[in-house]
Amino acid sequence: MIEGSQQYWRWREYHLVFPEKRPKQSSIITAGVDIGSVSSKAVIMVNGEIYSISIMRTGSSSPDSAKKVMEWALKDTELKLSDIHYIVGTGYGRVNVPMAHNTLTEIACHAKGANYIWGPTVRTILDVGGQDIKAIKCDEKGKVLSFLMNDKCAAGTGRGMEVLADLLKIPIEEMGAVSLNVDEEPEPVSCTCVAFARTEAMWLLRRGWTKEKVLAAYMRAMAIRMCNLLQRVGCESELAVTGGQSKNVGIISRVESLLGMKTLPMPEWEKDGRDPMAAGAIGAALFAKALHEKAKK
Amino acid sequence: MDFKRSIKEKKYVVEISQREVEELRNSIRAAYDKVIADYVERMKRGWAGRPKVMDYFYEMADFSRREKELIEAKSEGKKIIGYTCVFAPVELILAADAIPVRVSCGLYEPAKIGNRIVPVEVCPVIRSTVGAKIIGLSPFLEQSDALITALTCDGMTKLSEIMSDYKPVWTICPPRLKDTEQSLSFWRSELLTLKANIEKLTGTKITGKSLRRAIERVHRANRVFRKLQNLRKEKPVIMGRDAMLVTQIAMWDDLERWTEKAELLCIELEERLKENNLACPPDTPRVMLTGSPIIWPDNWKLPNLIEEAKPQGIIVADELCSGDRFLYDPVGVDEWTFEDMFTALAERYLMPSTCPCFTSEAGNEDRVNWLINRVKEWRVEGVIYYIYRGCMLYAMEYMRIKHALDHLNVPTYYLDTDYTREDVGQIKTRVEAFLEMLKARIEI
Repeated sequence: MIEGSQQYWRWREYHLVFPEKRPKQSSIITAGVDIGSVSSKAVIMVNGEIYSISIMRTGSSSPDSAKKVMEWALKDTELKLSDIHYIVGTGYGRVNVPMAHNTLTEIACHAKGANYIWGPTVRTILDVGGQDIKAIKCDEKGKVLSFLMNDKCAAGTGRGMEVLADLLKIPIEEMGAVSLNVDEEPEPVSCTCVAFARTEAMWLLRRGWTKEKVLAAYMRAMAIRMCNLLQRVGCESELAVTGGQSKNVGIISRVESLLGMKTLPMPEWEKDGRDPMAAGAIGAALFAKALHEKAKK
Repeated sequence: MDFKRSIKEKKYVVEISQREVEELRNSIRAAYDKVIADYVERMKRGWAGRPKVMDYFYEMADFSRREKELIEAKSEGKKIIGYTCVFAPVELILAADAIPVRVSCGLYEPAKIGNRIVPVEVCPVIRSTVGAKIIGLSPFLEQSDALITALTCDGMTKLSEIMSDYKPVWTICPPRLKDTEQSLSFWRSELLTLKANIEKLTGTKITGKSLRRAIERVHRANRVFRKLQNLRKEKPVIMGRDAMLVTQIAMWDDLERWTEKAELLCIELEERLKENNLACPPDTPRVMLTGSPIIWPDNWKLPNLIEEAKPQGIIVADELCSGDRFLYDPVGVDEWTFEDMFTALAERYLMPSTCPCFTSEAGNEDRVNWLINRVKEWRVEGVIYYIYRGCMLYAMEYMRIKHALDHLNVPTYYLDTDYTREDVGQIKTRVEAFLEMLKARIEI
């Protein structure tokens, strides 16, 4: 790729099918569609197991994004949209998922999804999405017990990371590792505001800071924000991180050191689709199964 | 204390041209007429099988009918006395044959105009009331011949000063401790001063006889007010936002007519309860609101979100000074002598108040007890603690209340917002997640 035209903010969009989970005649087929502000996720489940998963960027129209991400999830499967018994929409754009039979908030879905990904020992979930941060507490069944959400500002979220990736010309998926490449942890930036991220980062660069140091300072500030939210909700072990930032080692390691506690390890999601970034869609597909079974009774 | 008009110099008023005032007033008035029509429409849609008498309250929800009545009453020589806060004893106003109206403002747009006098950090009720005054927007504030303001929070305190640039303002100062030896006598003397001011303005002496008549009139309203709330303990026969609207209309309606209409409503609702004719499914999560006042019309954001949410919730009770607290407690008179009545009046407006301006060793115990009682008796399944920016006392009391409610195993959700429509999408997600959580608890 020609230098300069590279889109550093672009994270990997993908689609995976697990043929061994392919549906049989009597299988219950459900799907969850999570339309976030930055990414759209679709998960198709067969009897409550992930059969297909797709993640892509959210476009300007939620219904179109929902259709596209669902079409992609159906690709290379033996299924058509009409084969799916029940679809639950979730996320910021949940009311604009045309094929959904029902909607639930991403808060309920992330708790359910984390419970599926890591099992019943999850008690606290930190979901860092494109434009907001949520701290959720749940029981052993993945039922929400309490939650907190940041206010309407997008400070310290995935969107901010995209802005920085672009500015510093570092591919977004490498930023976490790059940020850990500092001798000493710098002071956090004073403001994690997305609108000012660019200005503040440029100011630091002009002062002679390395890219690594700027990133470290920004991520530390983000991690502090997340820990505040976690402490307010009452962080209990075990702690899972979901949403796009679950893949950012720069954030995860800082949250862990600030809290003095480990987060649950990243599962081998490429083998079975248990991607924490898609926890909302996974939870939605599980709710879809429960709702379908309830409707049949 | 009395910020009389003797202080000729304007303290706060900003320069603004008459043309700008008119432009702003006309455009904002048109905008809020639309908001009122839209909200009433949504309430009607949300409760299709509502009793006929609700139409009366929907009509009164539009301020214009009452505004005309007030203008007419004024032309007949009656005085209109506005009040900013429920500490004002409406009995005293009625006893002087004057008309009480609450003037605190629930309109969003004027808050931005209020910023010209008070900074944006100040609570939006204050900013909105100031803004409405600058452009002469609020019909009840405009018609008021004088204002009673209570020095409760910092916002209300300074609002008194600002308003005194425009109207005679009578401040009443509630003591922050209820139980000291001087508290009640101090408060009683505050009300005596207020009585003298009301008499002076109206030219009507408040006698034992007229005070008794006023207290008895309000007693009738108290009874109906309580009945309506008690009905909400049962299965949902009235949507919460409709009950809240009925309650709020008592603050500007003719009290006798309100009592009559609200009584008709209660009779109908009792019938419906017997027939199991419900306003929403009986397993709808039961929510209580507490925190900053929620004032019609703009600030109906939260009630609308809760009762239009998916899953739907129903507001069965609140602890708002703009809601269930207003006429809940009657003046408890033993002997109908003037002295006794006046003491009873002072007690009524001090002791049961759950305003966070009070403190005690137990930490505003009366509010805690009110909430605990409501949770138990109204079978509340979740509490939304509603705060707008700058509402310091309610915000600071959150932890105290949360701890008390945690003991009852009832979830509390802290919802912070402002006078703005921009955060509706975000708040919707919060409210719906909270209701999902309640629903999951109920289904266990």
